[in-house]
Amino acid sequence: MSLCLNRLQEERKQWRRDHPFGFFARPVRGANGVLDLKNWEVGIPGRDNTIWQGGLFKLTLTFPDEYPTKPPKCKFVPPLFHPNVYPSGTVCLSILNEEEGWKPAITIKQILLGIQDLLNDPNPESPAQADAYNLFKKDRAAYERKIKSIVKENPAP
Amino acid sequence: MDSEDDFMSDPPSGDEIDFDEGTQDSDIGSLGGDYDHDHDGGFGYEKDILANPQKPFEVDYRVLSPKEIQMHQERQFQEVSSIIELPPEQTAILLRYMRWNKEKLIESYMDNPEQVLESAGLGATVDPSPKTETVKGFTCDICYEDDPAMQTYAMKCGHRYCVDCYSHYLTQKVKQEGEAARIECPYDGCHRIVDSKSLRLLVDQNVQDRYEVLLTRTYVDDKDNLKWCPAPECEYAVECSVKKRDLNRVVPTVRCALEHSFCFGCTLADHRPAPCSLVKMWLKKCEDDSETSNWISANTKECPKCHSTIEKNGGCNHMTCRKCKHEFCWMCMGPWSEHGTSWYNCNRFEEKSGADARDAQARSRHSLERYLHYYNRYANHEQSAKLDKDLWVKTEKKMTSLQSQSNMSWIEVQFLDTASKALLACRQTLKWTYAFAFYLERNNMTEIFEDNQKDLEMAVENLSQMFEKPVTELGSLKVEILDKTTYCNRRREILLSDTAENLKKGTGCIRGH
Repeated sequence: MSLCLNRLQEERKQWRRDHPFGFFARPVRGANGVLDLKNWEVGIPGRDNTIWQGGLFKLTLTFPDEYPTKPPKCKFVPPLFHPNVYPSGTVCLSILNEEEGWKPAITIKQILLGIQDLLNDPNPESPAQADAYNLFKKDRAAYERKIKSIVKENPAP
Repeated sequence: MDSEDDFMSDPPSGDEIDFDEGTQDSDIGSLGGDYDHDHDGGFGYEKDILANPQKPFEVDYRVLSPKEIQMHQERQFQEVSSIIELPPEQTAILLRYMRWNKEKLIESYMDNPEQVLESAGLGATVDPSPKTETVKGFTCDICYEDDPAMQTYAMKCGHRYCVDCYSHYLTQKVKQEGEAARIECPYDGCHRIVDSKSLRLLVDQNVQDRYEVLLTRTYVDDKDNLKWCPAPECEYAVECSVKKRDLNRVVPTVRCALEHSFCFGCTLADHRPAPCSLVKMWLKKCEDDSETSNWISANTKECPKCHSTIEKNGGCNHMTCRKCKHEFCWMCMGPWSEHGTSWYNCNRFEEKSGADARDAQARSRHSLERYLHYYNRYANHEQSAKLDKDLWVKTEKKMTSLQSQSNMSWIEVQFLDTASKALLACRQTLKWTYAFAFYLERNNMTEIFEDNQKDLEMAVENLSQMFEKPVTELGSLKVEILDKTTYCNRRREILLSDTAENLKKGTGCIRGH
């Protein structure tokens, strides 16, 4: 438990010291005004020179008590139209799966960069929602149009 | 030739030969020889069994205890490690990576050692004597502790973490996720495998034990000639050389040291005489509702216009579909308007379409009846086998009360236990003979088979009847029960031998399905 909080405290410090451009990440402030280190809200910008450019997508990161032995749960709020995002908004990514690629040494920065990569590089091997997956597979042009409209709805400041 | 073949043909070492004979003996005993041996040595065929232990329906196999599996593994580590000149810990990782294919490992290692080590997650080499240490100015990247007195550990990949975090990570992998052979370094993207020496250094005994169990499990899982006994909590494995491609010709039934018998091919309970593929088909047939649709096609017709399914349960042949109001003739399925004046007396039987429809229905009806015939008998024996399990419990009670009522000794009342075991085994066999018969092509062999089946069934029902008599009568029936038990076992052996031989020769024709 204290391992979890120590690590999160340190993650926060590291993030404030240095983080990639266009991203934000901060613990949520609870109703009583105290920082809740186990719940973060983060924003991931679409990468330049991709159809996602110009968008900013918000997620919540929920850290279990067993963190960093177990990975945080990353959820797009609102749920994102993307082949590897579940209808609930949860991201399906190997490094976020404790039985696949999760390692305790993965930092929040690496997670967010990993999700940014996933945006423009979906993994058709593990589809998580039917709508985005089918459109991506069957009609790439329509898929890209749809993404561009989503980017417009979620503009970076 | 692959390593499995080679492994099988290796002459076993001395201690195994002893063990081998042990299991062979107990196997013969449990299959029927034992009964006679204990109670009526006078029967002539007993000698044949002992002189000729391998019956057509038996296969060679060997039971391995957890300790022996461990020994097997270690012997292979030693053997390969002396050839490729690496310590046993690393050889273990390489062998597991290559799924225990010794030849392939040695060959590819000789060709290109670096590449094999790299892809198996060993990189350069493993530290022969790993140890933890304190490092000046070190901060652990997992917990961000920087206490200078903190013990830390890194494998040869150099990714260093504090011992607490490392141990936490390994414990999680072993205890929660059941991983053993492929635990990687905690660093993101580093695929180096944690070797057993490092693991032992970092985790407590409890986790180490679990780690060993998991490693042993992968050993048995990875090798085609080894299978775990499927019984819950059973720790034994069985080694058997029967190959997958031979499963159509032999039913490899094996028995672990705790007397759990199962099929080595599919790990289901003993299903002789039916081969695995047939068992699979049969179970699927019983499970899915293909028979429901068979019933529908046998007992109903479709409205020729809207294709609603109609079961005719009375009335005349002038049908009016409830759904689409189409009027048609139940006999020829033609529109009613065409029947002109021959109302209620369809005279259009000879038309081809009508004849075809009737044939299809008759065929489907026949096929359903045939299936139900076999299924009912199969299910009946399955049900009886369940009742026999209760019988088993009652037997114990019967034995005790018979002892007290008739001054018989414990040894003397064992005949009841023997009879109950024989009943169970015979019912199990009978059950599968019906599934087997369903798929059997009709020829001379089938008649012999059905005669054998009938004989066994009658013998079993006779014994079963006697067995249920009140305790007071059982004492006087002892000789008769013993005779019947022997007879049942004998009939069962004859049936199994016969079918096994036909399977081996490929003469027991299985219908194409």
